[in-house]
Amino acid sequence: MNKRKLKEKIMLGTISLLATISAIPIFMIIINIYSEGLRYVSLSFLIDFPPPPIGGKAGGIGPALAGSLILMSLALMIGGCIGFFTGLYLSEFSHTKLAQYTQLFLQIMVEFPTIIIGLFAYSILVVPLKRFNAFAGAFALSVVIIPYIALNVREAYKSIPYSLKEAALSLGISHPKAYLRVLLSAARRGVLTALLIGMAKAAGETAPLLFTILGTSFSYFEGLDKPINAIPLLIYNFALSPYERWHQVAWGASAILLSIILAIFVISRIVVKEVKI
Amino acid sequence: MTWAIEVNNLNVWYGDKHILKNISFKIPKNIIFAIMGPSGCGKSTLLRAMNRLLELNPHARVEGQVRIDGIDVYNDNVDITWVRRQFGMVFQIPNPFPHLSIYENVALGPKLNGLVKNKSQLDELVKQALEQAYLWDEVKNDLKKPASMLSGGQQQRLCIARALALKPKIVLMDEPTANLDPVASSKIEELMLELKENYTIIIVTHNPQQAARISDYVAFLYMGELIEIGETSMVFTRPRHELTEKYVVGRMG
Repeated sequence: MNKRKLKEKIMLGTISLLATISAIPIFMIIINIYSEGLRYVSLSFLIDFPPPPIGGKAGGIGPALAGSLILMSLALMIGGCIGFFTGLYLSEFSHTKLAQYTQLFLQIMVEFPTIIIGLFAYSILVVPLKRFNAFAGAFALSVVIIPYIALNVREAYKSIPYSLKEAALSLGISHPKAYLRVLLSAARRGVLTALLIGMAKAAGETAPLLFTILGTSFSYFEGLDKPINAIPLLIYNFALSPYERWHQVAWGASAILLSIILAIFVISRIVVKEVKI
Repeated sequence: MTWAIEVNNLNVWYGDKHILKNISFKIPKNIIFAIMGPSGCGKSTLLRAMNRLLELNPHARVEGQVRIDGIDVYNDNVDITWVRRQFGMVFQIPNPFPHLSIYENVALGPKLNGLVKNKSQLDELVKQALEQAYLWDEVKNDLKKPASMLSGGQQQRLCIARALALKPKIVLMDEPTANLDPVASSKIEELMLELKENYTIIIVTHNPQQAARISDYVAFLYMGELIEIGETSMVFTRPRHELTEKYVVGRMG
């Protein structure tokens, strides 16, 4: 083997090793969370109220799981709609000043610390109502996911070949019809991925919820204007507590949260494969 | 005589660039009208100025008139979707909607425009359009299959069927055979000769031989100007302009 080939091999080997190393944390996280958390998970764990710190039943994360699902749905409804139409505008009116500035602001917003968005929601929706409430949490999550959805929807529509846009409009239909009835299905891979990314983001965020929903774990949903809980917030609160039982609940909840995120990821992969054009 | 289309003093700019300069012509109905010229001379722009597809480009600006059946498509009272329905358009690269089935590709236009009342009417219309495009026999058992499974020539005929399903007055074709093999191309040319019984066809081509083969009227466009227009036999045998002569004998391309 000559020197040049040897060099090449060493180089390739190093890069492969580094690539492998970068993938290790995800497996370690999955193994760690499931080995610590799965043992506490059962059907009743998904439904029951959390246990008292000492004594009583094993308990569960029912209200937090329900709260998370409610907050995710609300955030996806609000943020998904706004994000989708913003993305469509950014793609199809990219020559306008409004679109150019909006895109710039959204790119900045993607990088915003989410705790600041939580504080913002606190000041405009919690302080005036004088109460922590579910809507403030859903609002904060919507604000967090809008830029992700908008920028990804923009990419999805941008990727449609120009000739297909011409073909759609040559049918003598209005722009809204062309974009929503004809071209949306051409862009559906990207649009669905955008919505799923938003969903995963809404499921996993903790910071926007800290000052908005309080995290009451001892009642199910009581209304949008009342406190609510979510899994990430429950993990945060319970893991910080001094009680061993609550630590166990936090581990179990982590396993559930991880499962939700992985499920969204798997679904998005399947969806993307299925609708490949 | 009523003309299929009348163009008066048409000017088009892309930003500051003057693309089409004072184009005026009129053509009768039920003929094939070829617009030929070297690439970049404004042929495709002229076609898109007729059905106002040009407005998809935010930098394009149009002045002048395009009249179909006496109505100026640029009149403020005229609805742009109505204008586009008067024209069926076929593009240079076959562009069926790849995610839709063969049937849906043809059915989409009539469905979204509310041209049919029920499914059986739609079925009939789709069949008719596919027959007119010489495609029915090849696809009648595969209507539910995706359009992307068809060959290039078949895809282009599907696009013709898609355009015809709107029952347009005029069919615009933007170099429809530029990306097809010779066999598929000649099939499209045959088809055009058949279609002119019922439609006026305007075809853009960079190939003077094709214009000579199929068109009744021909225009020669050069650097945004209409150099010459007339009956095809005249333009090709006795061109009045030196540039036209150079182009048709193949000394410019």
